[in-house]
Amino acid sequence: MSTERMPSSDRELWQRLATGPVASAPITELDFAAWIEGRLTEREAARIEAAVAVDPEMRRAALELADILGKPLPEAPARLEVRARALVGFAVEKRFAEPVAAPPKIRAGLFDWLFAWDRSFALQRAVTITAAIVLAVSGFMMGGGLSETLAAERYVTKWQTTDPYSSNELTDFLGSDF
Amino acid sequence: MTELNQIDLRALAKGDKRTWDGFVAAAAPLINAVVRRALASYRLSEEDVMDAGQDVFVRLCANDFRLLKTYDPARAGLSTWLAVVARSAAVDHARRRRQATQPLDEVPEANLGVEDRHIEKLKIPQGLLTERQLLILKCLYDEERDVAEVAQLLKIDAQTVRSTHHKALLRLRAHFGEETP
Repeated sequence: MSTERMPSSDRELWQRLATGPVASAPITELDFAAWIEGRLTEREAARIEAAVAVDPEMRRAALELADILGKPLPEAPARLEVRARALVGFAVEKRFAEPVAAPPKIRAGLFDWLFAWDRSFALQRAVTITAAIVLAVSGFMMGGGLSETLAAERYVTKWQTTDPYSSNELTDFLGSDF
Repeated sequence: MTELNQIDLRALAKGDKRTWDGFVAAAAPLINAVVRRALASYRLSEEDVMDAGQDVFVRLCANDFRLLKTYDPARAGLSTWLAVVARSAAVDHARRRRQATQPLDEVPEANLGVEDRHIEKLKIPQGLLTERQLLILKCLYDEERDVAEVAQLLKIDAQTVRSTHHKALLRLRAHFGEETP
């Protein structure tokens, strides 16, 4: 790139001059980009150029970008790409995916879970049911089983149906004293 | 690798993951270059530069891709628009982080000069110079850029820059009563 500079007399003249403030409408990033690409009409470009002329930050931005956009670019660090990719996740992708058929109504509750054979975790469900049956049977057996229960029931029934006023061992004993 | 101009902007604005990944791969070199250049004078750490680059991508996809949806391909190329957005985001990031520092020899002389308050500068009347003439003089003298750089910016040839500069000075000398050299 050339390093052509302006004559010092011109510079001296310029340094003795000042530009007044120029009121301008806000410039969008899209306007600025269009101006950098030279896509604007003369009138539109004049509006941007007036703003760029009075704003040193915009001038620097324009000069930098014009330089960068005309050059081959080096590779970006992999870390930048990895972090940027993570900003848009699979959840977002699913949200905007083609609409699919509504899923079947899911039954809720322990009973439904245990006997819903069409769903996953079949082995776990089978083990749970077996364990519940084993526990119930063993508990019943430890309690004496069916025969003992029936005997106890018979005894209680017999005792409750006995006439309280009829003779028994106690009344016989008391009666013997009189 | 997907080129920036091959990106499906509709799918991108809808948040399609695959399109986003392609966009990141295509845009990362440009965003990286713009951010590094914009932050060069701020003397920030590599970590800060990475964060500034990430800020650009965050800005693009924030609020359901609101910024990205403002882009209009009929008005400007995607890479130019992205470069403008990236620079703007990088400068914002740097301002949040710390004050800019710049080596003395990189600062244009015009910015370093202590203004003599006793010498009142002559104000250029509005309308004396065209916007383009004023911009060319500002770039050449205030920014200390050479003719080729200004020509590149304005997409005109160097000779046009020289002649515009010459005409602008003639007008200024005529107005302020100076003799032409």
